[in-house]
Amino acid sequence: MQELQSAWDAEDWPAALQRLQHLALGATDHRTMASLGRWARRLAEHDHPEERTEVRVALLGNATTTFLTPHLKLLLSAQGFKPVIHEAGYDTTAWECLQPGSDTASFAPQVAVMVRSPLAVKDWPAVTATLEEAQAWVQAYVDQLLSLFEAAHANIGCDIIVDTLHALPLRPHGHLAPRLPGDRNTLIRGVNHNLADRAPEYVFLHDVEALAADNGVRRWTDERMWFQAKQPMSFESMVPYVQSLARHIASMFRESAKCLVLDLDNTMWGGVVGDDGVAGLSLGPGDPVGEAFSAFQDYVAQLKERGVILAVCSKNEDANARAPFKELSTMSLTLEDLASFKANWDPKPDNIRAIAEELNIGLDAMVFVDDNPAERSLVEQTLPSVRVLHVSDDPADYPGMLDRTGWFDTPRISSEDAARTRQYQDNTQREHLREQHTDYEGYLRSLQQEAVIRPFEELHIDRITQLINKTNQFNLTTKRQSRSKVEERMRSDAYLTAYVRLADRFGDNGLISVWYGNCEGTRLTIEQWLMSCRVFNRGVEQLLMNYIAEQAGRRGITEIHGTYVPTPKNGLVANLYPSLGFQPVDKTDNDSTEWVLALDRYEPRNVFIETVDECQT
Amino acid sequence: MKPTDTWDTLVAVIRETFGDDTLAIDSDTKAADVPGWDSVAHVGLMIEVEGRFGIRFTTGEVAGMNNVGDMVEFINRHLQSKA
Repeated sequence: MQELQSAWDAEDWPAALQRLQHLALGATDHRTMASLGRWARRLAEHDHPEERTEVRVALLGNATTTFLTPHLKLLLSAQGFKPVIHEAGYDTTAWECLQPGSDTASFAPQVAVMVRSPLAVKDWPAVTATLEEAQAWVQAYVDQLLSLFEAAHANIGCDIIVDTLHALPLRPHGHLAPRLPGDRNTLIRGVNHNLADRAPEYVFLHDVEALAADNGVRRWTDERMWFQAKQPMSFESMVPYVQSLARHIASMFRESAKCLVLDLDNTMWGGVVGDDGVAGLSLGPGDPVGEAFSAFQDYVAQLKERGVILAVCSKNEDANARAPFKELSTMSLTLEDLASFKANWDPKPDNIRAIAEELNIGLDAMVFVDDNPAERSLVEQTLPSVRVLHVSDDPADYPGMLDRTGWFDTPRISSEDAARTRQYQDNTQREHLREQHTDYEGYLRSLQQEAVIRPFEELHIDRITQLINKTNQFNLTTKRQSRSKVEERMRSDAYLTAYVRLADRFGDNGLISVWYGNCEGTRLTIEQWLMSCRVFNRGVEQLLMNYIAEQAGRRGITEIHGTYVPTPKNGLVANLYPSLGFQPVDKTDNDSTEWVLALDRYEPRNVFIETVDECQT
Repeated sequence: MKPTDTWDTLVAVIRETFGDDTLAIDSDTKAADVPGWDSVAHVGLMIEVEGRFGIRFTTGEVAGMNNVGDMVEFINRHLQSKA
């Protein structure tokens, strides 16, 4: 706070705003949040939210949301967005969802948050309810929610975040409660399970049950304030609630961290393999410290299973560093789990940069874990966009400390995520192949690439939405879109849509490119065009352009318009349109560039990709 | 804390909460006299006051404060029972 004051006194607005952002993301109590809120208001005239991605959030609830709004606004700004928040008002959820043209519908949010408190439930069944009666009650409760989701989806056209119900602090039936189907906490657990099983794809759960348990159920609510003003949680609990909600929203509209870069000695196992030898390392049962390192490896393995890429960056001889993976039976991770392995004596920032290049991901998608504070500080200073975990000197703390950052939180797992490590390893093999070929064309031929190009399909909407919201580099407009809006484009006759899936002799890259444009008469305007960085320079953009030209021609389109909106990350595609034969249109007053292509002048590009109906691999 | 201290601190908290440094407040001031002081804003004010004085109002007090004078009385009662 002192640094914030100094920056203010020095009228160094960027520094003050940066400090504010940092303090906000770390805030854990209400008073700090309130005071940062006042700072945000003082600094508002120096802030430039228009430079950040807009997210429109509607707050609906069966409780008061008034106090959540300023905190949420502050935290979404700190997360790097321009938040626009609409409060629907106390207990108006049903009306706002069911009524076409309601205030919330007119506000056109990308996401509606349904704040739900179990204190608002009025029709609990008797505790003596039979199992069947209790299940029927749970089913009916969730039915009602599902019909609200459906109405919101149809009338507001947005994605939905819904709170799971937190446990109640009262336990009138004591330890008998779990055996009573009609006990309220038993019912709450039933509702949460039932909801998780039945909520449609456009609904994202916000796990307040876990959040309240983590912070203490007894302190989660302040009953006085519930009775007075239907305030759903205590003021202290609002801070972890909103921190978690802001992270959740951010993860829907931005890439989460993708890659975990791990040191080895005293990070993955106890001891120094070069000095102690494989036999001298602490890992696994029989030794408490060894068990702590095993627990960390197990946590890391869980992240890997759902698509987090693992890499090693260790100061070691390569052979020494690999030995435990080959010889130590207590290792949870194998060499196959690692997409990149750097064991050498070069500075770690150089190695991390090399890993990022090899995997073709941004430094801001990387998390670095190292027990050595000097290495951490070097990485932080040299590569400020890499997220560095400040672990304690006790390995038993490592998993919890990594867990609580939420850096790897993701709204859903696509099949691409689960297959990711293998895809990156395939890329390494491609690199080797490229090194064998002196000419790039020969390399592309030898890859034996196959692509599927098709209009959007229901089955792929999740992956398409994920790419739209997370692709930064090959992205012409960086326009984020909710799943619901993407679905709308898919169904609309006014839109041409396409996705590309690419496979080659080394494996399937999955769905890697997304495109759509709006047709008006003979004019087609490209609204989205993006591609995963994994497949740069393979001819996919040329292939897609050929496809677009063909489809547009069939519809009687004569002119295709495209816009390039520059961001700090998408310089790569600044010249995509001219490279495909588009001509510049007079520049508008902003930084964007406009391009147009007369369709009859387009010459299909030469590509080394065979278009197929189904990828073989 | 002396009674005058309670008064000064409370007035400062109210002015801060409603974002008006010049808000005229006397012991008869009611919620209805202050723009924005509705039942929800009241909760925010109560939490601020509790935090500032290190006390905890009862539900009845939260609901039963008819004017600023009542508030001072409740605060002082809590401060005394703490002492």
